[in-house]
Amino acid sequence: MKFDVVIIGGGLAGTSAATELQKSGLKCILVADGLSLYNCPKNEFKAAGGTVLQGDRVVSGDFEDGRLLRVYTAKLGNEPLEAGQFVLATGKYFSRGLVADMDKVYEPLFNLDVEYDADRPSWFDPSFAAPQRFLEFGVKTSGALALKGGVPIENLYPAGEVLAGVSSAQGDATEQILNSARQAVRAIRKTDYAGE
Amino acid sequence: MQENNISTGNFEQCQKCSLCETVCPVMANNPDYGGPKRSGPDGQRYRLKNGIFYDDSLKYCLNCKRCEVACPSGVRIADLIQQARIEFSQKPPRLRDIMLASTDQMGPVASAVAPLVNFSLGLSPVKGLLDLTIGLDHRRTLPKYSSETFVHWFNKKAAARQDEFKKHISYFHGCYANYNYPQLAKDFVAVMNAFGYGVHLIEGERCCGVAKIANGMIPAATRDAKANMNAFSKSLVKGRDIITVSTTCTMTLLEEYPELLKVDNSSIKEHISLVEPFLYKAIASGQIKPVWKEGWKARAAYHCPCHQERLGLGIFTTELLKMIPGLELTELESNCCGIAGTYGFKKENFRVSQLIGKKLFDDIAAAAPEFVACECETCKWQIEMSTGVPVKNPVSILAEALDLEKTSELNCA
Repeated sequence: MKFDVVIIGGGLAGTSAATELQKSGLKCILVADGLSLYNCPKNEFKAAGGTVLQGDRVVSGDFEDGRLLRVYTAKLGNEPLEAGQFVLATGKYFSRGLVADMDKVYEPLFNLDVEYDADRPSWFDPSFAAPQRFLEFGVKTSGALALKGGVPIENLYPAGEVLAGVSSAQGDATEQILNSARQAVRAIRKTDYAGE
Repeated sequence: MQENNISTGNFEQCQKCSLCETVCPVMANNPDYGGPKRSGPDGQRYRLKNGIFYDDSLKYCLNCKRCEVACPSGVRIADLIQQARIEFSQKPPRLRDIMLASTDQMGPVASAVAPLVNFSLGLSPVKGLLDLTIGLDHRRTLPKYSSETFVHWFNKKAAARQDEFKKHISYFHGCYANYNYPQLAKDFVAVMNAFGYGVHLIEGERCCGVAKIANGMIPAATRDAKANMNAFSKSLVKGRDIITVSTTCTMTLLEEYPELLKVDNSSIKEHISLVEPFLYKAIASGQIKPVWKEGWKARAAYHCPCHQERLGLGIFTTELLKMIPGLELTELESNCCGIAGTYGFKKENFRVSQLIGKKLFDDIAAAAPEFVACECETCKWQIEMSTGVPVKNPVSILAEALDLEKTSELNCA
């Protein structure tokens, strides 16, 4: 199936980016895997004409020449979702946007470059209320684009908590998450208009 | 999802986030039900220690599987609940439950005397009597039986010409299309034939067993499952994929056989497809070409059945229907209709069943479509009874909207 934008992740960042993009006339599909928001925000997206895959998850993607061409989901099987642009809004550890091993933190879907500290004891502070560094880890970017093997993927935009430096533990978390989503939306709109 | 996890139904992955409780249609309407989290993964911890922790309120679960769709951690919540009912419920199924569940034993009997059955089941004194004696709710409109089964019609009228086609599929019709509503199966044959596929019955097809699972008749359901797996393997030897029309039958064949009945279905998993994904992919890839009727117009609202939500294949239905130029399609918010197969027929569930469906009924009334598009047969009964709006299966919509003759000319050449 072909879309203008595939949004991976149905949380705050994914849903708000999807709704904005759909409203600006792009044909969007939201794969709402992981911990996802329910009816209100999604109904706004659907009312704007968007498609939601609820309870499904992206399991792999095909890359070529620094671009993501298509992704596959668990339930649609061999039917790919093709798109010009992709938003990655899979969140942090709970929703499996990031996985923490004994020796590294990685992004499990596309193996994107992740910012973290190799020194594991420095990841957390034993004091519960102290700022926790592991919450700062996340996907590295160049501008609005995700990096993979040090090279920017020219149509893959991370948004929300999957990003390095964006964390729900901070006071202005909602604003940070929405800002990162807006940044992705602006970047996608720019490429879209440039393409016309 | 953790791959090495060995806990039943993945229950140790439950993080107690309670998202499942926010989508459970029963919990919102029946205070006697503890909800999916407590009945599923939480209860499982206790039940593993000792069966005395089994709670009879698990019978209120209607197995819509919305909890599983919502779960961010991949816990098979509804399966855990059904598994616990199978393992620990002490109550043998009542006569009513056996009657409701034995669709392929009741079907032939009822079809043989269909006019009499349909007439008497429509009479209020009869319904009152059934309510009092066996607990079948008198307010429920009971399904009609067809005097000629689909299989009988097919063997008489359609079977002979199926070998003339170049491509072939096997058709799992299920009990509903055979005994209650053969028109759906006839529409299926018409559409598949027009696209150039010969349709073949599956010799020895039995009921998928879902109603028996829901009513605690596990040995009978397991026998059905094994018989079906045998029948399928014969169809696969001939190189024919198995196409289904009922979402619930499909979910049962794909998910419940291995999870609940412990019947291995790995040999057929890749070869069973619902008709909508099958046709969508064939049209999108250009293997078959539809010709639509000039000037055909309709306004429909799509209701995605719970088990279609669970399979995650509803997008194929909507994308397929969007291909019809004359169809104006709105999508209804995803909500359970409340009937859940045999659940809503039972006297003790009728009130909750209608309460669960209310949001959907109101949405349908507000959308005021000419008809509701929906893949599920029991949703059809519930929506038609509760809203008065007719419900059409996507296959029947295709049969109406396609110019079958021209489609056939284009695809059978």
